[in-house]
Amino acid sequence: MSKQGLSVTVTGINKKFGSHVALDNVNIFIKPGEFISLLGPSGSGKTTLLMILAGFARPDSGSVKFGETEMIRMPPHKRNIGMMFQNYALFPHMTVGENVAYPLKLRRTPKAEIVQRVTAALDLVKLAQYGDRRVDQLSGGQRQRVALARAVVFQPQVLLMDEPLSALDKNLREQMQIEIRQLHEKLGMTTITVTHDQREALTMSDRVAVIDHGKLMQFGTPVELYERPANRFVAGFIGESTFIEHEGRTLVVRPERLQVEKPGQLNGGDWIKFAGRVQSVIFQGDSLLSTVLLSDKAGGQGVALQLRQTVSRTAAGNGSLNIDTEVEIGLHRGDAIFLDESKQ
Amino acid sequence: MKKTSKTKNLLMAWSALGGIAAGLLGVSGQAMAQEVTVASWGGTYQEALRKAFYGPASKETGITIKDVTLKGIADVRLQVKANAVVWDVAELFGGGCEQARREDLSEPLDYSVIKTDGIPPQLVNSHWIAINSYSTVMAWNTDRVKNPPKNWAEFFDNKKVPGTRSISPQSVTVEMALLADGVPADKLYPLDLDRAFKKLAEFKPQVTTFWMTGAASTQLALSGEVDMLTMWTSRAQAAKNEGAKIDYTYEGALLGIQCLMVPKGAKNKANAMKVIASMLTPEIQANLPHHVAYSPINAKAMDTGKIPPELARTLNSSPENRAKQVVVDVMWWADHGQEVQERFDKLMK
Amino acid sequence: MSGQGGTSLGLTAPAGLNAEGIAEDIRRERRNLRLLASPALGLVLVLIIGPMLWLFYLSFYNEHGQFTFEHYARMFDEGAYFTIFWTTFEVSAIVTLFCALLGYPLAYLLAQMPARWANIVMLGVLVPFWTALLVRTYAWLVLLQRRGLVNDTLVSWGIIDQPLALVHNLTGTLIGMTHVMIPFLVLPLYATMKTIDPNLLRASGSLGASPTRAFWSVYYPLSAPGLYAGMILVFIFCLGFYVTPAVLGGGRVIMIAQRIDNSVSLYPSWGAASALGVVLLLITIVLMVVGLWISKLARR
Repeated sequence: MSKQGLSVTVTGINKKFGSHVALDNVNIFIKPGEFISLLGPSGSGKTTLLMILAGFARPDSGSVKFGETEMIRMPPHKRNIGMMFQNYALFPHMTVGENVAYPLKLRRTPKAEIVQRVTAALDLVKLAQYGDRRVDQLSGGQRQRVALARAVVFQPQVLLMDEPLSALDKNLREQMQIEIRQLHEKLGMTTITVTHDQREALTMSDRVAVIDHGKLMQFGTPVELYERPANRFVAGFIGESTFIEHEGRTLVVRPERLQVEKPGQLNGGDWIKFAGRVQSVIFQGDSLLSTVLLSDKAGGQGVALQLRQTVSRTAAGNGSLNIDTEVEIGLHRGDAIFLDESKQ
Repeated sequence: MKKTSKTKNLLMAWSALGGIAAGLLGVSGQAMAQEVTVASWGGTYQEALRKAFYGPASKETGITIKDVTLKGIADVRLQVKANAVVWDVAELFGGGCEQARREDLSEPLDYSVIKTDGIPPQLVNSHWIAINSYSTVMAWNTDRVKNPPKNWAEFFDNKKVPGTRSISPQSVTVEMALLADGVPADKLYPLDLDRAFKKLAEFKPQVTTFWMTGAASTQLALSGEVDMLTMWTSRAQAAKNEGAKIDYTYEGALLGIQCLMVPKGAKNKANAMKVIASMLTPEIQANLPHHVAYSPINAKAMDTGKIPPELARTLNSSPENRAKQVVVDVMWWADHGQEVQERFDKLMK
Repeated sequence: MSGQGGTSLGLTAPAGLNAEGIAEDIRRERRNLRLLASPALGLVLVLIIGPMLWLFYLSFYNEHGQFTFEHYARMFDEGAYFTIFWTTFEVSAIVTLFCALLGYPLAYLLAQMPARWANIVMLGVLVPFWTALLVRTYAWLVLLQRRGLVNDTLVSWGIIDQPLALVHNLTGTLIGMTHVMIPFLVLPLYATMKTIDPNLLRASGSLGASPTRAFWSVYYPLSAPGLYAGMILVFIFCLGFYVTPAVLGGGRVIMIAQRIDNSVSLYPSWGAASALGVVLLLITIVLMVVGLWISKLARR
């Protein structure tokens, strides 16, 4: 069933709705077989971009190529893409099997082959026994799988997904993230998914394109985005962070990278140090999330710094995190992320 | 507590329904003491009756006359059979009154109240009395028909007189067909229905449209939709007066009568008799030709001085016009009205 | 703690706690619902079922109150009645078809419009709906007659030499009835179309269906229940049409309602008219059952 995906080249896409700029000169090159996410807050233009890729919306200008083929004026039904919709868009007047068989019938696949491929696709999404069910007899998770089976059964070389997991509860969502990723490994088509959930993007994707206000903010691997955010927006949007002006530059501080000690006890290594008073401590099961109000005149005075410590470390540790105690906080210089704001 | 609220629910629901029903039935049981309801044929004709008969009769008797329209004997039958008679006097035509008498739908008239001087005795019946005479004529569009048909034979022949035509699938159209087919006027009755409907069946393809109501015939004439058609003179003359390019002839026209009857069980019988009597007095009868091209039935109306000689000459019952026409046999129609209509229905399908 | 009853705060609840009271509450709610519905049911019984049974009874009696089959026998003996029934169903079927052909694109257009515009256009559909039937029918007469607006315009533009026979015939009747009935088709169809998720068409396109194919394989089947409902409504209404064929048919299109009216005025008893009504009702019921059966077959 495996088939190599196509590269997707997005060049100079511009789109305005009246005076509102939805997409502003977006350029993305997606490698064949890559799994990428378009990540951004609502209204950022990520869904518009996906609709342009699918052919449901027209940009004002720009180019979209699948492989070497220009797609921008091609109607959706000739693009040979698999598409999963946020609400799954299963055909209510067809059974599960008929839904999955639909794209094959359109392609005039021989009957016997349709049966075989529909069975295989339903197998793939673990719904082998559900072929004769009506759509309204399925749970949300099952519908999601049927939509997935329908989108991949005809082996499209590009698969688009619009917020595919947003309607599922948290446990199911995390399970499906892994399943979708595994399915992608198996089938190998280029996959582009839209999400506003950064955790989902980081979990599933090879690379993530962060979009805000119609502009591509950064396009990189999850690690790159986390460790080397290109700008304040990405740093703030991906993971938790506190911004501190330090030595004339903006320092991005991730809460889990901090070491906390009683004043004067932070030793060894190359630390950037802060002093402050503990404001609150919240127990979150696997970790403690504390807020420390910085008092250090050297930098960050008045900033409420968040820091996260695993519970085991705290329990075994120094018990320094009590409300209203003075603490010293250290960030390894190697973990420090400085934003180069001159670029913006 | 539960019980009462449930009962209350039900009570409220049913009483709401009761209220609606009462509203629908119209709680207007008692009629005004001095009021008589008269039903006639509507349109310009009834407007004329209002001015010529109802108004003056009301003034003379002191009885308020409320006038409504009817479509025929079926309306009377409906009220009588349902035991819900709301009309006191109904006007029918031709054999309609006699038919109603035979079906036992009418009250006997009180000839101690109604004076019949000047009314032809054959038109005075125990249960009905004629009120005026009307004519059914051929009319044509003067713009489009330069040589109008001179008789029914020409009217029924669109090779002889080209143009579109309209007739009505009812009543004296039978006489017209027989006259067109060459039956002499004095040998018309009893009508040969087989012959008449054979002729009508042949004529049917030449008919552009069949009119069912007087209003429809007026519309056809005013809009120029057809070139020639049969019409009642009330309608034809009214259209002419309105400036329509239309003319008609009494040649071969059918002269019939309209008649009054009192539906069986009428609520204001006594007053109905007074109103009928008043409408038949020569004075009030003489009003009619001033408002509609029909004639009084009471010959003494001509002696009242209210009808000037030049108007008298144009009446459909004037000696000159009467000579051109064929008089409809009311009794034959009372016997055969239903049969004829069945045949018409079959003709129309 | 170890009892069969549920435990909470260490207390043991007896089996079936409050079960009787809860069941009583459910029963009471049902009873109240039935009570509230009873006036409507009463109305149906008194105003619809009752008269229908009475009609059925009347159709077996003549004017002398004697039991008779003559009213039914007459229908079978005279070919004219067959023709009238045939005309009635033929005209109704053609009007239903026209309404479907004209109403479907209209409803589709409405369903695709932004709600604000759809409401305005819907008003355009509904305004004539609020005008008296007779007025609309005569309006068509004025438009379609020999010297009416349509013919005058066509002649003055030189498109035709002689006025077309647009009225006083089947053509006029069909035009008038279709105009009257279109809202009855559009309203249920529009309601159904509004419930169709627009993403379904997109999904269909993304899966490889051309717009035409997407329409027929997805949109049409999903809108079909609304279409059928509208068509059944239109067809049944058409069967009882009186004014429009009477005014625009020129005596050439005699439908069953006209004949029923004729029968009421022609025969001293209502048996003849009642028998026609009964036969019309029976044929209609049979057709509806067959129609539903076919549409069910078609769906599976």
